[in-house]
Amino acid sequence: MNISEKLAPIRKGLLEFVILKIVAGDKVYVADMLKLLGPTEFATQEGTLYPLLSKLRREELVDYEWQESEAGPPRKYYKLTQKGRTQLSTLNDYWKDLNRTLAEFGN
Amino acid sequence: MQKVVSISLNGIAYQLEEPGYNQLRSYLERAESRLKDSPDRTEVMNDLEQAIGEKCARVLGPHKTVVNEAEVARIIEEMGPVESAEEKAAGAGAAPEGAPEQESAYVGPQPRKRLFNIREGAMWAGVCNGIAAYINVDVTWVRIAFALITIFSWGGMILVYIALAFIVPTAETAEDRAAAFGMPFNTEELIGRAKKNFEKFGSDYRWRREWRRQQRHWNRQWHQMSEQVRQATAQAAPQMGTTARAIMSIFLPIAAIVGAVLFVVWILAMLSLVTQHTVFGWGLPHGMPLWVGLLVLVLVYFAISAPLKAIRHGGREAAGSHPGWGALHGLMWMGFTVLFFWLAYTFFPGVRELVDQLMWAADLTVSNISETITFGSWD
Repeated sequence: MNISEKLAPIRKGLLEFVILKIVAGDKVYVADMLKLLGPTEFATQEGTLYPLLSKLRREELVDYEWQESEAGPPRKYYKLTQKGRTQLSTLNDYWKDLNRTLAEFGN
Repeated sequence: MQKVVSISLNGIAYQLEEPGYNQLRSYLERAESRLKDSPDRTEVMNDLEQAIGEKCARVLGPHKTVVNEAEVARIIEEMGPVESAEEKAAGAGAAPEGAPEQESAYVGPQPRKRLFNIREGAMWAGVCNGIAAYINVDVTWVRIAFALITIFSWGGMILVYIALAFIVPTAETAEDRAAAFGMPFNTEELIGRAKKNFEKFGSDYRWRREWRRQQRHWNRQWHQMSEQVRQATAQAAPQMGTTARAIMSIFLPIAAIVGAVLFVVWILAMLSLVTQHTVFGWGLPHGMPLWVGLLVLVLVYFAISAPLKAIRHGGREAAGSHPGWGALHGLMWMGFTVLFFWLAYTFFPGVRELVDQLMWAADLTVSNISETITFGSWD
């Protein structure tokens, strides 16, 4: 079992955190999120992303607005809500704590 | 030349080659079943359809109006398996890029509904269970049908059962079980699967050899016994010509009556065992599965009727072999069988109850089948 496989559950758990980070910037379309994630360790697919985004929306952490596109039907552009922003900063703090803990254990 | 299917993805029409359409349909059906517990199902399905639509639009142009099979396969691969976000929250530890067998399950036409062997609650390999699910009737009826056909085909149906056990895939997941019928599986797949299953079966070499040896032994014993009885009868009634013929004309109706009574009692016993799990009110010994009970009944019937048959044949030989005897006996047997069924139905309330119950269930079964056909036909 290689490292990537071993840490797969961690990446999976962190995906929500990463999505919140991406959405925190400008409004984004799913295809753009996938493009951003593609070259990283968090590369993912629509099949995973859409259910996750719907869940985040149901938890009122993100919201979307419709925007006309030059081709095809209007698209959903996602953005962070106020509640999402609070959640994101909590997650950021928690992540820093985790890193500190790891550092304290030394090499 | 390829047949093209027009579909609408979130309100926009696309044309797909038929095999591609089948792939996409099964992908979306799987997605939907994965999301069945998610409150966001409708929304996610719309999102997925739109994403697929955009990917289709990307491969189309003014001179290309149809999405071909390979392109659909690529699009499905790009989309990736749909995972419910709820499962993820529960902490299923699977790698997102892992699950290769899951991935491969999306490729290739996956019929929406198909025939499976269902092992849960099965007597043997689950063939009857699978067929029952397939035509949407109670498994008891399929078993009765199988039993009757087995009797009338002199056991030939058992071969069909064995063939089905090997050919039809066994439902291993809940999704499989949810499926019933749809496109027929293709021949290549069918032969391949039969071969694989047979190899698996054959790999248990010792078991097979032992079984064959046992079978040969039984066969030998059976033939020896029948032959002895037949010879004994033939000798007991020495060549007496007219006398023997006279004896035969008395003996034959008796044999037919006894045979018919046996048959009627046996059939009713089987029916009552299958429908009420008792033989005329006697329950099976504790812990004995139903199928053992049925097997015992079959063996008992053949154990009683076979010596009778041997005696009859012996007597016939003594009276001078004449094909007329066989036909005569057959006719008498049939007549008596009908008569005894009618008598049993008229004079035994238990039998009437059993038959009425059968009729009622048969009615239900017929209406179920016609419902299945009506609902299945517009898909």
